[in-house]
Amino acid sequence: MDPRTALILVVDDDARSARTLANMLREDGWDVDVAIDGASAIARLTRKPMPSVLVTDLRLPNADGIAVSTFARSRDAEIPIIMVTGYPHLAAQKLSPEPIVLTKPLDYADLSAALARVGVRS
Amino acid sequence: MDLHKRVAELRQYVDFGEADARRLADVRELLAPDFARIAQEFYDKTREHEDAHAVFTGEDQIARLQRSMQTWLGRLLGGTYDAAYYVQTQQIGEMHVRIGLPQRYMFTAMSRIRLELERLITERTPERAKETNAALHKALDLELAVMLEAYHDAMAARVERRRAIDQNGSELAQADVAAIELTHELVVGIDESGLVRLFNAGAEATSGYGREEMIGQNLVTSLVAEESREALERVLADEALKRFRVDSLVKTRAGKLRDVGWDVARTRIGNIHVFLIGHDYTEERTLAERSRRSEKLAAVGTLAAGLAHEIRNPLNGAQLHVAYLERTLRRANASAEMLEAAGVIGEEIKRLATLVTEFLDFARPNPIERKPTSLGALVTRAAGLIEPEASLAHVRVVRDLPSKDIEADVDGSKIEQVLLNLARNAVEALAPVTSSGGSGVVTFRLRRQPKSALLEIEDDGPGLPGDDAPIFDAFYTTKPQGTGLGLAITHRIVTDHDGTIEVDSRAGRTVFRITLPLRGAPERSHD
Repeated sequence: MDPRTALILVVDDDARSARTLANMLREDGWDVDVAIDGASAIARLTRKPMPSVLVTDLRLPNADGIAVSTFARSRDAEIPIIMVTGYPHLAAQKLSPEPIVLTKPLDYADLSAALARVGVRS
Repeated sequence: MDLHKRVAELRQYVDFGEADARRLADVRELLAPDFARIAQEFYDKTREHEDAHAVFTGEDQIARLQRSMQTWLGRLLGGTYDAAYYVQTQQIGEMHVRIGLPQRYMFTAMSRIRLELERLITERTPERAKETNAALHKALDLELAVMLEAYHDAMAARVERRRAIDQNGSELAQADVAAIELTHELVVGIDESGLVRLFNAGAEATSGYGREEMIGQNLVTSLVAEESREALERVLADEALKRFRVDSLVKTRAGKLRDVGWDVARTRIGNIHVFLIGHDYTEERTLAERSRRSEKLAAVGTLAAGLAHEIRNPLNGAQLHVAYLERTLRRANASAEMLEAAGVIGEEIKRLATLVTEFLDFARPNPIERKPTSLGALVTRAAGLIEPEASLAHVRVVRDLPSKDIEADVDGSKIEQVLLNLARNAVEALAPVTSSGGSGVVTFRLRRQPKSALLEIEDDGPGLPGDDAPIFDAFYTTKPQGTGLGLAITHRIVTDHDGTIEVDSRAGRTVFRITLPLRGAPERSHD
């Protein structure tokens, strides 16, 4: 899989931040879809194409980041998950295997590095 | 019978002659390099035993005793066993009465030393081991015989003084005496010159001194810690005060300080002019202090958990947009000033984020996860981690570890955080010294106590600014860039381990002293 054409699903209830993040990712060559609550993220995951990476907030309206992640794994057990949260310890405990956890405020360079790590899976 | 005759008789009895003396002197050089180690191992072992350990006043005393034991080992293998020699042995026995060490420990201690010396002799002079060890046994038994007799004599003299006091020292009625002996409060009577004339069982229990030692002594100078002497002396001297209350710090035999509130009455009975009824508040004060701190923590914790999320979310938006702005500016070839401005915003956001993280750590810490942990390894690791920044600041890091490692049920990463916090503070405290060309030392010390481990971080810097600065309180800081949370987090981690932390600071020596129970208490919720 070529990481440069991989599709990322970004889930964040702060619509402006989600949009800005999506813009930056697109500028860097990624394909990006955005959802601004848990329910619409799950709805997006039922449709094709299946995203190759999930970047989600933990606290979300209408189903939280854990629910979204669990659903994503039910569709693709191998999907890499990057959780962006103000509660890093909670996020790590509730999912198994543990997702990659990045603490808010998100440093874009950290996210790029995390994507580079997971994007090259075979 | 005088000492010289007694010893001569005993020596004859066990057949200890010049040949034995020579044999011991012959192995002295071979064994001398091990004296320091034997003494250290001996006292490290003592730390595991509560009754024996209770007589120590602190690390300074233990260091002194360790040196005395080395001297004693040299003397034991010195080859000269004359009257002067046994006078010193006698003094060792009397000293043990004075510090209050139970006699049984002298006996069993000797067995530890005996086995170690025997092992070394057998290993290093196998061809002469049999005779030399025989000489060693005789010398040690003589040593013990003289020490124990001196102990017994000193103890008997004490008991006799006490009996005399109890029989005719007091003019109080029998029932009154019984009541005074039953109470846990301290009841002390002094005469017109301030000398102790009555010293009840409660006073003995709190202070660790017997009445046979205290009667006839000046109350203030022999029982009250220096810093609170003046206050007590002043009110005692004021004849106009008939009944009053005063607090003072009582210094116990083992050097511990107790908070005692005295109810004082000027009432003349026989040779007693003033009665002092004391109540020991130490535990109550510690508890009150602890609950004050934990109430403050609980309030802060609730606030913190709610606020952290509310702060991190907008920070997240700000951070992302700044990153986007920076990227756009760079692409548009914006001026260096504009790029720098965007960079500053990014840095400030990160600083704020760090504060939030530290604050959460302090206010809502993760519950501790206890695991059997080698404290020696932990200290070594923490010292290694601090070494690079210490050496940059021209500070030397010293590890002072016990002869035998200590294992305790602790959360290793949390205790490491504590050690690093304290060591980092110590290195920073040394900055004024080292930046003007001086040098500094930070010492990590680990010691065993009967049921706990003692960890010390010591520096030889200028000391803390004031005695009662609330350094463990949240948001108290003296550093321009400090959050005021470092020591508060440290304190919290230690108390979450059911441990204690205290500081002892003067110019040239500041010690943070942590005790951690070796075994964790039953599970407890930390919310």
